Amino acid sequence: MLIPFLNLRIVRRQHETKLSQILPVLLALLAAFIVSAFLVWVSGSDVKVAFIALWEGAFGNTRQITETLNKAAPLILTGLAAAIAFRAKIWNIGAEGQLLSGAIGAYWAITTFPGLPPVAMFIVILLSSFLAGALIGLLSGYLKTKFNVDVIISTVMFNYIITFLLSMLVDTVYRDPESYYKWSPKIPEVAQFPLLLTKYRLHAGIIVAIVVALVIYLLIEKSPVGYEIQAIGHNPTASNFKGINKSKTLLFVMFISGGVAGLAGGGELAGLIHRLRIDFSPGYGFTGIIVAMLAGLNPIWIPLTSLLFGALLTGSLKMQIVAGIPVALVYAIQAIVLLFVITAEFFTLYEIRRD
Amino acid sequence: MSKSSQPQNIEEFLLEVRNLTKRFPMVLANDRINMNIKEGEVHCLLGENGAGKSTLAECIFGYYQPDEGEIRFAGETVEISSPSEAIKLGIGMVHQHFVLVPTFSVVENVALGLESSGVLLNLEKVEKRLIDLCIDYDVEIDLKARISDLSVGEQQWVEILKALFGGVKLLILDEPTAVLTPQESEKLFTVLKKMTSQGLAIIFITHKLKEVMEISDRVTVLRKGQLVDTVDTKDMTKAELAKMMVGREVVFHVDKEQIQKGEPILEVRDLWANNDRGQIALEGISFALYENEILGLAGVAGNGQKELIETLVGVRKATRGEILIDGEVITHSTPRDVMEKGLGHIPDDRIREGLVTEFSVAKNLMLGQQRDRPFRKGLFLDKDQIDLHAQGCVDSYEIMTPTLESKAKFLSGGNLQKLILAREFGMQPKVLLANQPTRGLDVGVIEYVWQQLLEKRRDGDAILLASEDLDEIINLADRVMVICQGRIMDVFDIQDVKIEQIGLLMAGIEDASC
Repeated sequence: MLIPFLNLRIVRRQHETKLSQILPVLLALLAAFIVSAFLVWVSGSDVKVAFIALWEGAFGNTRQITETLNKAAPLILTGLAAAIAFRAKIWNIGAEGQLLSGAIGAYWAITTFPGLPPVAMFIVILLSSFLAGALIGLLSGYLKTKFNVDVIISTVMFNYIITFLLSMLVDTVYRDPESYYKWSPKIPEVAQFPLLLTKYRLHAGIIVAIVVALVIYLLIEKSPVGYEIQAIGHNPTASNFKGINKSKTLLFVMFISGGVAGLAGGGELAGLIHRLRIDFSPGYGFTGIIVAMLAGLNPIWIPLTSLLFGALLTGSLKMQIVAGIPVALVYAIQAIVLLFVITAEFFTLYEIRRD
Repeated sequence: MSKSSQPQNIEEFLLEVRNLTKRFPMVLANDRINMNIKEGEVHCLLGENGAGKSTLAECIFGYYQPDEGEIRFAGETVEISSPSEAIKLGIGMVHQHFVLVPTFSVVENVALGLESSGVLLNLEKVEKRLIDLCIDYDVEIDLKARISDLSVGEQQWVEILKALFGGVKLLILDEPTAVLTPQESEKLFTVLKKMTSQGLAIIFITHKLKEVMEISDRVTVLRKGQLVDTVDTKDMTKAELAKMMVGREVVFHVDKEQIQKGEPILEVRDLWANNDRGQIALEGISFALYENEILGLAGVAGNGQKELIETLVGVRKATRGEILIDGEVITHSTPRDVMEKGLGHIPDDRIREGLVTEFSVAKNLMLGQQRDRPFRKGLFLDKDQIDLHAQGCVDSYEIMTPTLESKAKFLSGGNLQKLILAREFGMQPKVLLANQPTRGLDVGVIEYVWQQLLEKRRDGDAILLASEDLDEIINLADRVMVICQGRIMDVFDIQDVKIEQIGLLMAGIEDASC
């Protein structure tokens, strides 16, 4: 394609380097930062004050760092859920619903087996939340393989179904009879994740998330199944000719993807919130998509990008207090980052040359 | 050439193509083509797949820009830089793949293409003119129907109406009958005749001789990107046209030693299968393939070769009949099981069916074997073994790649084909299906591929060689089997066969004495 007047031509890159893949992402982040600064300026606040407040709010002291880590934990998991599916070009947009399903599953397991010893309880929570999320993912996969229902549609629809199921549960069977609010009773202490530091809310969820990131990394990058997942994502026809079963792989991917998102729900329940409630997740399932895209769908980078977005979420509180900028700006920043990262992807594939 | 139609007067031509050359990175698609079209004629563009017919048409329609040469339209030199430019000049084209909005009605789809419609659509006016057009040309179609409710044949009418609505003087049809039933084709021919009687010129792209004879006034034959000749159809027989299309020249000779063929390895009995549209594509195919043998499969593209190979590989379901390897039935096995039984496959569309171009060369060289030793160690892939294997392949097959980690998409077509050969041969198959193994390759690589195939034959492999290049089959095969419309027309020993005879059978003419 030729850009008139400037004598510039957009051509496909003839070779790829590490730099040509990372540089566009860094530039995208920079561009997103500049546009965000512009938004702050437009809203009438001091840009410098606002961003310093954002930084301090996220990393200023131990409490804020631990809060940032607590927010990063579910983002790592939903980010991994998106990454594994997107690597197969399966568009699972349902991490939010799968997360909530994981929380419901874990809550059911905890209330059904309240007498378990702590270690067994820990394992049961991980298992039940994984399976509950995986079940929802698998359902979408089944609808795709059996009836060719678009995965985007079914996963988005399951988000609504699970959200309303949760809202029904906390108003009926799981409603706390002693509270005015529509939420469930607290889970017993034996089921709560151990805290990593005294005095702070930092819980074992972050460790679970990092271990899972490592496992998913090995699965995608180092195992035969991961090879097949990528092969189907890049070329389903050739994969079929070479004996890779598309339906089985799709079901497997949706099972793992949903399960990992479900773990995020279990972690939030047992680590932080300790009860089911309507506003259980501030959209971790959707932010996970951005986290995964920013990491180039590579599991090894997802903890880092999750930390960045976790910091945005915690830092925004202080930014609101100090600079008077609404928290909504953080969601705007998230969206701006996503838009720039998608644009950046174009430049990893193409380059601009002067004629 | 006594039968050539010589131009008497340049001004009588509506379209003139002079010395048109079009190059693509891998191929010379059109090499100094000359062609002219008269008002009121149906002019067939005949040639095998890859002969350069579509490229030539797309140059005339402005979709491609020729690298050299000149196009004159209505007596003036024109530079057609885009399809919309072509439409303005009065050149319309109906592609093999339609460009219609499925949820819109016929009238809306026609209105969509109008540039002069302004902000407000006047659908009534469009509909009124369409009704007139339909009456003029005897086209029966429900103008208010949604595209998605129409048959493929009817959709083609919409494309033709779109072109006519724009007031074309020259209409290009790219293999229009490929999607039509015989009855629909008849109807199309009647309407086309009516159009030409009103002065319209038509370029009709096809590789079916029967249609050329039936519809055209003149025919231009292309072969491997070069012009063979332009002739008056009435002076020609099908056999003569077949010879022109298929050609006779032999590129180069290879040393094929005489080998006694061994036991039958692959047996196919009364095999039936459907194509992607659910129509019958294979009608009772039976044959046997022996050790130490290359069996050529000759046929014009689209006569069931693709479906036959896909059914053998296991990606297409057989509706009837059976396939046996070494006496074991594999008819309904998965591609993976078939592969493990010892069937290798060199696909004709190597990018789409044979490779994951986003993967590295090393990873492509083990595609399909990722769960097998030595590439898997325990739960994980064994990178050392993968690289070792890849290095071996790259060395012995002379695959030119910067590194083993380079993505396959940066390799040339010839090197990609070597990559596939290395992988498929490396699995030591008993049966090898080679579909168009040299299509689009340079002469040097072609020779290399041929030698490799002959070596495999020496080693005892049974090879099915599907090719649209008859020279390739004559040079390599021990026997040749001709397929037409999903049926095996005949099988010959290669010594006993004349190329004209194969050409006729490919065209579906059974009486080879004519």
